[in-house]
Parts: sequence; structure tokens; C-alpha cells
Amino acid sequence: MLSLEKFHENEELFLVVGLIFGILIFATTLFFIWGLLQPLNKGLAELKERTNSWWIMAIIFVSATVLHPVISFIAFALLSFAALRELISISKNIRPGDRNVLIWCYLSIPVQYFLAYQGWYSAFLAFIPVFMFLWIPFMLAVKGDTHDITRSMSVLPTQLMFCVFGISHLAYLLSLPEIEGFEPGGKGLLLFLVFITEMNDVFQFTFGKLFGRHKIIPKISPNKTWEGFIGGVVTTTIVGYSLSFLTPLTGLQAMGVSFIVACFGFVGDVLVSAAKRDMGLKDTGDAIPGHGGILDRVDSLAATAPVFFHLVYNIAYNG
Amino acid sequence: MRSLFLWTLYGIILRSLLHLFVGIRYRNITALKKVKQFVLVANHNSHLDTVALMAVMPLNKIAKVHPIAAGDYFGDTKRKSRLTKFFVNALLIRRSSASKEDEAGRNPIRLMHETLKRGHSIILFPEGSRGEPEKMQSFKKGIGEVLKLLPDVPCLPVFLSGMGRALPKGEKLLIPYDCYVIFGEPIYALDGTAEEITLRIEEAVLKLKDQVPS
Repeated sequence: MLSLEKFHENEELFLVVGLIFGILIFATTLFFIWGLLQPLNKGLAELKERTNSWWIMAIIFVSATVLHPVISFIAFALLSFAALRELISISKNIRPGDRNVLIWCYLSIPVQYFLAYQGWYSAFLAFIPVFMFLWIPFMLAVKGDTHDITRSMSVLPTQLMFCVFGISHLAYLLSLPEIEGFEPGGKGLLLFLVFITEMNDVFQFTFGKLFGRHKIIPKISPNKTWEGFIGGVVTTTIVGYSLSFLTPLTGLQAMGVSFIVACFGFVGDVLVSAAKRDMGLKDTGDAIPGHGGILDRVDSLAATAPVFFHLVYNIAYNG
Repeated sequence: MRSLFLWTLYGIILRSLLHLFVGIRYRNITALKKVKQFVLVANHNSHLDTVALMAVMPLNKIAKVHPIAAGDYFGDTKRKSRLTKFFVNALLIRRSSASKEDEAGRNPIRLMHETLKRGHSIILFPEGSRGEPEKMQSFKKGIGEVLKLLPDVPCLPVFLSGMGRALPKGEKLLIPYDCYVIFGEPIYALDGTAEEITLRIEEAVLKLKDQVPS
């Protein structure tokens, strides 16, 4: 519990956790009062369900972040596992005979998170894009069934990149070396990234609902509009600027990074939406009430995590 | 004692493993609470099917729930048959010869009938075998005959999805795969011939397939 005591001393982190739950309390109260005024509003029921799920996710995320580093790594590894399992389960491009190779995909998760935990930077970066990228197709080839093998060869490493490599960058933030004079450390960066990514999702959704007129990519996601996208990106950039005390960046750098993160949140969202279109699905699952599957929630995070990580690493840690 | 043993094994250990590792999700589990005694009917893809169903049986019922297992597969040796009865609480029947009698002079229908008359419940996979992964075969009419004999016992249709990918026939390696167990509402007092009842049950199970998120 040593880290918990430290956490109390660390006012910046305390402030942001307070902010997260403050927003949730505000949203819950708002929807409750709204519900009293309009008891039959259907869209509201969905919003309430979403908010309830946000509570659970926030509690899990905050406790996994502050309790103990080992718990954080296990929690993120499980998140990768559940996301990968969901993606593999809905994927129609994997042949039934590939099941023995899937084990290698799942086994790469503990390895990747172990490398992140140890903070072995180059091994962490190389393991999936270099080793697994070759090993998985090789294992497919060894099986001998070449019918449609190129499809499996391309699909499986891509899924690993998205669900394991991408999400594991969240965990690696906790292994970053300490910088003198920067109190919040990896936990601060993790909170910052998850907070702005999720706020970006929420703001893009909200602005889209309120002012959405002009569709960006109607063929992939009819709900995404220019108004939602721009509203989300602008708000996220401002939020990122005001939370820059959680990062070792200057205010201006934090603004730039938040802007890029907001754009890539959109990218992750669109990637998963397009894949869902191909498979004829509306949601990737129903694990999180009101949100859909796990991937529906972490799609943006899987894209923003590596982008944010490498931006921050090159600006602040590579000197 | 027996209840506690089975419940710990299925309700706690295997259920948590199924949840965390395989990624199993249950729908409309409350249907199980609406009935005291039942004939649970489900499609069959994998050995996981029985485990997934036993995992949600409540402590006060589990010792009285008997999955019907193929005697020619699970009971071909004395040891195997004893293990199946002990760990799965199974009732072993002969598959191929529904009309013929086994060495004790009882046929499968009568065996199931007697079990139900004692107030116990059964889990039946009327497809007869696991077959090809994730493909439902037509139901054997034994289920209709059993239900016809006991019109007071409700039939509980269940659709299972994904288990045939997690652990298909002929494979030893279990892989994680999102699976769904969808309970339907209990069906009471069916009339008609055994064939008609069988067909209606089959339709009821197949209808639940729509609830699989996809």
C-alpha cells in the first residue's frame, strides 16, 4: 500500500481522480433530474446505462492505476486479452484450422506485458512487430493448409498489433524512468492519456448529437459528423492544455499532443467501425452495457496509446 | 455433501474459469429460477456445453440435475463410466438403439422417464452428437417421447453458441472464444405426437439463436 500513501501526497493525481468522479456525479445527477422531467425519454435510458458503465470502468481503472503497479500490469494484460478474444471471435477471416496458432497470439500477451513491466524498451518495441510478425505466419505455414493462408497471415498480426501492442503502451507508461521535478510520473501520464482519450470520445459523441449535420464517412459510420469531430478535437485540446501538469510537457506541447491524440482517437474508432461493417455487426459484443463490446470502448485507446507514448517519449524522455 | 461438491466444482471453479478465460456470457438466466424441475434441451457442439450448463445450476438443485450422456462414449469402460457419473452427475444411456434395452433391461426413454418421476431434472442434447462445429443438426425424437410421457415437467430450451470454436469435437486444446448461453422461457404441456413435440422444441431452441449478438 506504499504507493497508495504516495498517491495521497501527490496532489495532482488526487485532483484528477476527483475530477473524474466529479464529472460522473454531475452526469448521473443531470440524467436523474432529466429523467424526472421526461420519464419516457428513450435516448435518456441509454445515456443512463452508459453512465452506469462509465462508473464501473472508472472505478476499475482508477483502482488498477493507484493500488499497485503489478495490479495495473495484470489489469491491462487482461484488457488486451479480452479485446483480442473479442476481435478474434467476431472475425470471419480466421479459418477454423487456425486455432492452434491462436494460442501463440494469446501467449504473446503475458510476454509483452512482462517486457513492459521490466521496462525493456527495445524488446518491448520489437517483440510483436518483429518477432510475432514472423512467428505467427510461420506457424500458419507449418500447419500446411495453404488455402486462404495469406488472409490469416495478414489478419492475425494486425489484430495483435491493435489489441496487444497498442494497449500495452498504456502499461509501459508506468515503467518510464522518473524525471526530476516531475511528480506525477507514469501514473500522471496514464491518467492524462486515458482521460483525454475518453473525454474526446464523449465530446465527439455529444457534439455530434447536438450539432451534427455534415457526415464525414457515411459509408462506415453514419453517426460521425464534422461538427462532432471538430467539437471533440477542440475541447480535447483545451482539456489537454489545462491538464498539462500531469505530464512533463510544457503547456504548448501538451496542447499539440492532445490535438494529435484527439485525431488518432477518431482514427481508432473509424478502424474498428470499418471492421465491424465488414463483418456485418453493429457492436463488437455486449460486454459493457450501453457501450457495446470491449473493443467498442477501447478502439480509440488502442490507437492513441502508442501515438501518445512515442510523442511524449521523444519530447521528454529522449534527451 | 454431493451438492456442495458439484456446486464448488462447477458453480465456483469452472464457472470462474469459463468467465475469465473462455469468455462465456449467459442471457436470461432467471428462466432457470422459474422452474423447479425441468428437461433442459440444448444444441450440442462441444464438451464445454455440459460444463457451461452445470456451472449455473444453483446449489439446491445441482445434485438433482443429470446431463444425459452417451453410454457408448462415456461408459465404454467401467472406470470411465464411474468417473462420468461422479464428476458430471451424468445419466448414461445407449445412443444407437433407443428401442432396444440395455443389460439392466431398461431402454433410454424409460431411464429418463424414471429419473424425472423421482423429481430430478435432466439436460439433454437431442442432436445426439456434437457434430460439426457450430452447425445444428435436427433433433432426435427421443426428447418428444420423454416430454409426452410427463406433460407436467416443463422443457427449458437453451441455445449455445461459440463452444464449438472454443473446444470443437476431436480437439484437445481449449482456446479462448466469446461464447453465449441463451436461456429461453420454459415450455409447458405440449400436445401432439412425439415427432411434433420434437419439432416444436427444435424450433424453440433455434429461435434463441437470434439473440446471439452478431
